Amino acid sequence: MRDAPIPFWRDTPRLAFLLALAVLFLMPYIWMAAVSVKPRSEVFSGSLQLLPQTWNAIENYGRVFREIPVGRYLLNGIIVCALILVFQLAFAIPAAYALAKLNFRGRDTLFAFVMLGLLVPAQVPSIPLYVAIANAGLLNTYAALVMPFTISVFAIFLFRQFFKAMPDELIHAARLDGMGEFSLVWRVIIPNAWPAATAFGIFSVVAHWSDLFWPLVVINRGDLYTPALGVLHFRSEEAGDDYGALMAAAALVTAPLVAAFLLAQRRFIEGITMTGLKG
Amino acid sequence: MSDVVAATPYRLVRAAPMRRAGEAVAAWLLVAPAVIAFLLMLLIPTLAMVALAFTDFELGRTSFRWIGLENFSELLEDRGFRQSVQNTVLYVAFVTPLSILGGLGLAMLIEAGLRGRTFFRAAFFLPVVSLMVAMATAWQYLMHPTIGPVNNLLRSIGFAGPNWLGSSDWVLISLGLIGIWENVGFNMVLILAGLTAIPRDLYAAAEVDGATSAWERFRLVTWPLLGPTMLFVIIITTIRSIRTFDTVATLTQGGPNKASELIVWTIYQEGFTFLRMGYGAAVTVVFLIVVLGLMLLQMRLVERRVHYG
Amino acid sequence: MTASTLHPSRRMALHVMAGAAGVVAAPRIVRAQTVEITAHYSMPAIFKLAQEAVAEEFNRRQTAVRVVYSNPTPSYEDGAQLILRGAATGQLPDISFQGLNRLRIFAERGLAVDLRPFLAELGDLRALGYTEQLLNLGRANGIQAGMAWATSNPISYYNVDLLRRAGLDADRFPTNWDEVIRWSAQVKRLGGVEGMFFRWPGDDWMFSALVFGFGGRMLNADETDVGFAGPEGLNALRLLDRFVREGGMPNYTGAADLQAFAAGRLGMMFRTTAQVVGVRESVGRNFELRTARLPIIDPVNGRLPTGGAGGMIVTRDPARQRAAFAFLRFCTSVEGTTIMVRNTGYVPTNQLALDEPRHLASFYAENPLFRPATEQMPLMIPWTPFPGANSVRITETIVNNLARIVESRATPEEVQRDMANEVRRLLRARA
Repeated sequence: MRDAPIPFWRDTPRLAFLLALAVLFLMPYIWMAAVSVKPRSEVFSGSLQLLPQTWNAIENYGRVFREIPVGRYLLNGIIVCALILVFQLAFAIPAAYALAKLNFRGRDTLFAFVMLGLLVPAQVPSIPLYVAIANAGLLNTYAALVMPFTISVFAIFLFRQFFKAMPDELIHAARLDGMGEFSLVWRVIIPNAWPAATAFGIFSVVAHWSDLFWPLVVINRGDLYTPALGVLHFRSEEAGDDYGALMAAAALVTAPLVAAFLLAQRRFIEGITMTGLKG
Repeated sequence: MSDVVAATPYRLVRAAPMRRAGEAVAAWLLVAPAVIAFLLMLLIPTLAMVALAFTDFELGRTSFRWIGLENFSELLEDRGFRQSVQNTVLYVAFVTPLSILGGLGLAMLIEAGLRGRTFFRAAFFLPVVSLMVAMATAWQYLMHPTIGPVNNLLRSIGFAGPNWLGSSDWVLISLGLIGIWENVGFNMVLILAGLTAIPRDLYAAAEVDGATSAWERFRLVTWPLLGPTMLFVIIITTIRSIRTFDTVATLTQGGPNKASELIVWTIYQEGFTFLRMGYGAAVTVVFLIVVLGLMLLQMRLVERRVHYG
Repeated sequence: MTASTLHPSRRMALHVMAGAAGVVAAPRIVRAQTVEITAHYSMPAIFKLAQEAVAEEFNRRQTAVRVVYSNPTPSYEDGAQLILRGAATGQLPDISFQGLNRLRIFAERGLAVDLRPFLAELGDLRALGYTEQLLNLGRANGIQAGMAWATSNPISYYNVDLLRRAGLDADRFPTNWDEVIRWSAQVKRLGGVEGMFFRWPGDDWMFSALVFGFGGRMLNADETDVGFAGPEGLNALRLLDRFVREGGMPNYTGAADLQAFAAGRLGMMFRTTAQVVGVRESVGRNFELRTARLPIIDPVNGRLPTGGAGGMIVTRDPARQRAAFAFLRFCTSVEGTTIMVRNTGYVPTNQLALDEPRHLASFYAENPLFRPATEQMPLMIPWTPFPGANSVRITETIVNNLARIVESRATPEEVQRDMANEVRRLLRARA
């Protein structure tokens, strides 16, 4: 809020507090990373020892790469999340524009109805959807993984806010130029929706990259496994997990998300800013 | 923003009927793909499940009977369902305000200076990205009553740490703490955006008007302008905490003795573990009705106080 | 139970019998082409090596049938879900390895093929190593729903170094529970460690071990009423209560006991033998690990529940059924079970593998940790699956009630009464 840079010594309490809190927040991850390089016999001990006595990283990560096709699963994750995002944007942006800027009968009822979609947990429509997809012969396909998520109520909500905040002059100017609604959407709205789309993209990817429930329902062919399913391979309630490999797998699967967030971070904040959540 | 609309020439706002009809057609065509996807992927399957609430359908059987309201009358007597509802209410009441306040606090602290923003944003957002399958083990270890670091720390300062995940008194609190951990980063990012959108000159103007303390600045400028953001955050956070499932499924499975059972876990368990899809659907129906009512109430209450632009 | 139709499994059984009879009666034309069957199993973390090894050996030995695996599901529950969902859509593997106690669910829904006709063709089952006891493990709802493939029973794990530190003679591990309780209290007095943990959470398997140990059963003979409402049930609950009150058993959930044990802070652990490989690796060289039989309660009538997986045939096509059965027969043959034991450490499911030392004697000599489970084999009886639509829910009800004892919120008498009432209600609710 202040533009003048605060001298370091005055900034210290704030930074120290944030740092302490950050370490606390990161504790599970720090432990996870530590376990991924330890041999199994060192994972649990009476005291918190983060540094391994025996460096087991090669065995753990090696085991992950040996037992599951990590590259393949990551590729599946990328394909599925990308497809989902594309469809979500394609459906949500025009709809949000219409709900935000156009006047038509039934608009508010439609919006209220769509908001209901936020409330329904994923487990509820899953069985009927499964039966429908199976009967259509689409089990074990990318389509099955992508279809249920193409409608994102969160996206419609977010983009609607964004478009409400967008100056009407832009749109009126385009209309005065003789543009029809569709080319308006294509040529004016979508290019300007870019910041919000980046923001939404992060939320969407984060949600679907780690999704376990739906892939377990529609996929049982190894080459279509998503990254999260790959991690499950090392989980075994009955025999006890191979913790080192499990954490190594989890680290490998989480790393791309973290990298993506760091890269997109600035755009991401900017993007939400311009959704004009302020009004 | 909205004052732009006020400045628009009157004739453009008062469009001719012909224009309005054309606009309506275009509007419906634009919303069509989303509406169709909504119908196919969300509404119709949900309605199918709602219909199942009046049957005795079980997973794996190929036929079922209509049994009317029998599932619902069983629901009324179900101690487990009552416990689940109670737990969910407590959980949401605990997690929602704290994760919103936490997100707000963090956002303000991070924005207060220029140093380390990237690092802190990433650090607090990381829990949102977490894969519960792996996190479960981490939490079980960290909260282990005998060998966990949390209790070790408490012991070193003289307190006997509770059995975080094993005691029916503490398990809901522990899940709540994990829920806050997961949600704070999410809220922080949304609020950060809202904060960075507030024009700096407003703060300058406030100072000129005599608002010298940080609290005054917050009360007069920040808080009102964060209104719409906060509305969004409140709705989203409430819904997210009501829909909590992963932590219950991987850490406690509702135990011990249903002390940590939350409503979406009940829906899942009834339908998928106990295989009684009809009964699970009945729970779903009650859940949707209640939550819908809550949402409408909340929106009406909060929106009234929100100050738009 | 559906209102107006013939009981599904009886209908299915008739179909299967008709189909099987048809196949047997048909002229024996030797087909040149290979039948490929799809097999499914759960828990790749345990069974991947064993399954792949046994399939490889089977494929190698003959060319009439080729076994191919669909992707394994992470847990028994996911595996059951797969089949149950598949029932609605016809997307099913030919053979599936399911948790033994779930076979009943499939039998009740007519999804499991009755194996009796196929077994009848094999001739002298006892000579092939299939005892009544082993076959019984795969029986459910009146049919032979499957055949046990890998079984487990509860054993004792203990930390030799910790016990010795507490002044106990680790070379003479207790054979009865009173002594275990005394030892546990003694270990706990060291401070900062726990003495014992009996794995009661999760499901009613370990509790069954106590009830069976007293000579009781979970259900009565004709499955109309609970079996634990009598003295055996009460004694089992009282014993659990004593673990907590006298032995100081902590209230662990999830994998907390495994974690504490691996860290060397838990003296004795009572759990399924399926964990041996995992525990051995977690312990590493931190301390000396040993296993022993579960302490005996009633030396004459005491029994133990059986966990593990069994193979179930799902396909309705007669040719594929024969092929699937050929594979299942190999899996449970003395060669197949030897492969399984060597790769998992579970208890063998063919009597010959135990009677004839040439198969596994060297394995047990090199791996003494696996021996107690195998020694307990004569005591194994099926883990009771409760009948009807509420079967899984009943298990949960039992676990919830046990939690009340462990948290010392109710007396054994109260818990027995409540548990019996609740389970009875659930048994009656959907016949």
